[in-house]
Amino acid sequence: MSRIGVFICHCGENINGTVDCAKVAEAASRVPGVSHSVDYKYMCSDPGQSMIKEAIKEKKLTGVVVGACSPRMHEPTFRRACAEAGLNPYLCEMANLREHCSWVHEKSEATTRKAVDLIKSMIEKVKLNQPLQPIKVPVTRAALVLGGGIAGIQASLDIANAGHQVIMVEREPSIGGHMSQLSETFPTLDCSQCILTPRMVEVAQHPNITLHTYSELESLEGFIGNFKAKIRNKARCVDEKLCTGCGMCAQKCPTKKISSEFNAGLGMRSAIYVPFPQAVPNKPVIDKDHCTFFQKGKCKVCEKVCPTKAIRYDQEDRIIDVEVGAVVLATGFDVLGTDFFPEYGYGRYKDVINGLQFERLASASGPTLGVIKRPSDGKVPETVVFVACAGSRDPAKGIEYCSKICCMYTAKHAMLYKHKVHEGSAYVFYMDIRAGGKMYDEFVRRAIEEDDVKYVRGRVSRIYEEDGKLVVKGADTLLGHEPLEIRADLVVLATAGVASSGAEELAQKLHVSYDSHHFFAEAHPKLRPVETNTAGIFLAGACQSPRDIPETVSQASGAASKVAGLFSQEELTREPLVAVVNRTAPPLYSTCTGCGLCMPACPYQAIEMEEIRTRDGTVVKVAAKVNPGLCQGCGTCVALCRVKAIDLQGYTNEQIYAELMAL
Amino acid sequence: MSEFEPKIIAFVCNWCTYAGADLTGTSRIKYASNVRIVRLPCTGRIDFMLLMKAFSRGADGVIVSGCHPNDCHYTSGNFHARRRWIVFKSLLDFMGIDVRRIHFAWVSAAEGAKWAEVVNSVVNDVRALGPYDGYKNLAPIAADWRIQDAG
Amino acid sequence: MLAKMRQKAKDLLSSGVVSTVIGYGEGSGNRVRALFIRKPDDADKLILDERCVQNLAVYLTKREVRALGRPAVVARVPVMRTIQQLMFEKQVAEGEVAVIGISPDSQVLDFPDLKSMAEYVSAIPFELSADEKAAVEKLEKMTAGERWNFWLDVLSGCSKCYACRQSCPLCYCERCTVECNQPQWVSVPSHGLGNLEWHIMRAMHLAGRCVNCGDCFRACPLEIPLNLLTQKIITDIADKFGGADEYALNAFKPDDKEDFIR
Repeated sequence: MSRIGVFICHCGENINGTVDCAKVAEAASRVPGVSHSVDYKYMCSDPGQSMIKEAIKEKKLTGVVVGACSPRMHEPTFRRACAEAGLNPYLCEMANLREHCSWVHEKSEATTRKAVDLIKSMIEKVKLNQPLQPIKVPVTRAALVLGGGIAGIQASLDIANAGHQVIMVEREPSIGGHMSQLSETFPTLDCSQCILTPRMVEVAQHPNITLHTYSELESLEGFIGNFKAKIRNKARCVDEKLCTGCGMCAQKCPTKKISSEFNAGLGMRSAIYVPFPQAVPNKPVIDKDHCTFFQKGKCKVCEKVCPTKAIRYDQEDRIIDVEVGAVVLATGFDVLGTDFFPEYGYGRYKDVINGLQFERLASASGPTLGVIKRPSDGKVPETVVFVACAGSRDPAKGIEYCSKICCMYTAKHAMLYKHKVHEGSAYVFYMDIRAGGKMYDEFVRRAIEEDDVKYVRGRVSRIYEEDGKLVVKGADTLLGHEPLEIRADLVVLATAGVASSGAEELAQKLHVSYDSHHFFAEAHPKLRPVETNTAGIFLAGACQSPRDIPETVSQASGAASKVAGLFSQEELTREPLVAVVNRTAPPLYSTCTGCGLCMPACPYQAIEMEEIRTRDGTVVKVAAKVNPGLCQGCGTCVALCRVKAIDLQGYTNEQIYAELMAL
Repeated sequence: MSEFEPKIIAFVCNWCTYAGADLTGTSRIKYASNVRIVRLPCTGRIDFMLLMKAFSRGADGVIVSGCHPNDCHYTSGNFHARRRWIVFKSLLDFMGIDVRRIHFAWVSAAEGAKWAEVVNSVVNDVRALGPYDGYKNLAPIAADWRIQDAG
Repeated sequence: MLAKMRQKAKDLLSSGVVSTVIGYGEGSGNRVRALFIRKPDDADKLILDERCVQNLAVYLTKREVRALGRPAVVARVPVMRTIQQLMFEKQVAEGEVAVIGISPDSQVLDFPDLKSMAEYVSAIPFELSADEKAAVEKLEKMTAGERWNFWLDVLSGCSKCYACRQSCPLCYCERCTVECNQPQWVSVPSHGLGNLEWHIMRAMHLAGRCVNCGDCFRACPLEIPLNLLTQKIITDIADKFGGADEYALNAFKPDDKEDFIR
């Protein structure tokens, strides 16, 4: 028989002013199974909590119902008080007599009656409550960081500096990401590489960071605190231990006319190459698709010239197994192709380039050493047109969202051009200027007011070549849709930022959700912006949506602090309010039929199938099993299960039924 | 007997509607006291049989409410619930059950005023419909809830 | 066609591919019954005519049938759909069952595996017949009160014998929720409430799964048109969520349409 204690709080006059608390306590005392029922002015006060604790000890209570404010307010308080008195905290429930009763109804008998109902229904529920133990999950204190751009670099350094191991995986031959390609950064115009490369070196030299460049994630299994990852180290065909990075191989490589990815197609590289001089690691890779030896079976020049004999043509991909407790996704973004804007002539006209290409032109380490020269004939352009929103905010042809960074980098581009070519004229075609951010609007104003960049509000309808010039046709909507025609030498399209190639496959490998544009989805748009719905997997940077460097860095630090928080204890403690699939005596073993229909309904992929075996190992049944490390306790599976084989601890079918039937 | 007062049982999710109803309280917005709230973690947890059991317990009306689409604390529990409700409500209607007595709503944690409106309108509507005698007469069920234990 | 089916059964048994063929045979009083053929020579007892409509897939999930070894089953389209659904629900796996398919025009079909059977049956549109549609629509056109009285009337005789459940190949749960008494989801007596709760629960548990074989109706000793409920749900799911290959109740679209959630 239950021995339930009922404690009715007056909350001063907040409850007692409308509800006859003494009457409620008296009515509760007459419910079978209730062995103690009192009312008191302030249950949450020290004396109030002491009353509960003493009653638990004296009357050997098996459950406690506190009729007071919302459980969202004081449930932890009263559960703690119960625990201190030796009662399992999950044997304590609250009836919401304040927010759901006294505050919303007039003083009347009906209101008191409602309070009695609420108490009685909680008494019936608590009779069926089971003592629950917090779930402990061991934590492997190492983090896997996917992506070696500024997001991954920042997250890795923060986690490593907190004293934890980091395994960083970058698919390109060098870390650095898009930031290493940038010329100068808004709104301060400091040189991107100058601020980035020291961080890259720090990553390479950090004792807590293991770097896997030219590598990709092969698979990820497990759950928070306990992931097992396979990493594919792609064959560089170079023994990294022997290579000194002298660069002789690249210098002597006979195949030199390969479009350089780092220079966004505006420069050339050899078949054996280091993407850029400051690469980390400064070790070359052989691009097998272009290498004469791999294509024709003859050459081996690099092997001959290598002073340390580091070339390994027969090197194969290696798969490395690692165990980690958390994953940070920092795989960045790509720049949209412009195929869907044939009227802009990108790809057809050499002098129509995208923003990333302009970065390379403006960069001191770029193919033109920072002199703005147009790609077709190397002339310094006298007139440059920048087209903002080339693909963004365009549901018809491009993407519907705002790429967020283009307004600022376009202003920066125009400004850089004007700084380098004082007599030149720069036009910016824009839809709106979105310059929210510290010193951002000032920066755009500076471009317009001090550097005389001409901003034209309107869209470009067509770009075509005529007499060596690019004719840009548009309209100025602020001047009554006046048609405008500018004869330019160079056109820069601020193409949209899109999800990194392969983002969808990666998300599927990791079981994280992604949006229709393949950007990874955060667990909550406001309150959990660096977490994914898969516990233990965090987000940093532009893989979530386009964003600028400061925002990326702060998000990366946010993700790192989440990881460090997770790693702060040897075991992860979670509320035991999770779903459980029943196990029964043979021959049933579980009422679960193993139909698996619950699996896709789980938002957290927490349900798996388990083979139930006898002692000699014979499989007697396949039934569902909920991983308590992943389950968040929504109970969608419970309502879906036809046989009621899954139940939700804390909100079991029996409890809810009893609660309902007492109303 | 005085004017009929309907018994309304509400199944709500913890994160949106329960919190919204808390806000109704903290905002001191008054509404009819006929409603009894059953708190569940998510609308996805609401078993359709619970609604049937509410009627069998003598409810004259039922409210089911949770987070607006896309706002689910568990991202998709309410989407699953919505599908279930679409099928279930249609089935009940097909069986002649008075679906005017079941009110489905999205009430967010910020919509304290909306919660009061929902409750009041359901209480008024169901009061006008009268007691759900058709269902209550299916079987001898618990005695009139308004009299028992009124103290 | 009959000869071909018998030959096929014989071949499957004599080659040892299966140990049992589940088909139809003559029963008493001009009725047809399910026949479990274990020896090749007995294959000639199999019959196939318009009376042979029972959904024999119901036996595939039974422990005692499984104990007989690998079965082959004579399967018209609804049975094939059932097997497809049982595969989807992990109750039947490739290789566990052989299918002697019977096409709508009564041709014997050869399927090397269940996958090819599933492909065949997926290509046949899953929809209600004109008569079935008309029956559902007739009820839909009534007022709510008329519908209530209709169901009260037809269910009044239901004694909860559970023949509907036993005949249903998708009611394979080993412990049906109707038998759960902690909590008592369905009132035990076969009074109005108990019957209504049972039939609502049954229909909802079949929502998105029912293949409309009609066996529940045929099994009912009172000829209660139970399949109207599942047929109504089939039309609703097709109308509202589209005829996708998924289970309609564990999937969703963020923009699923409804007009009643306010």
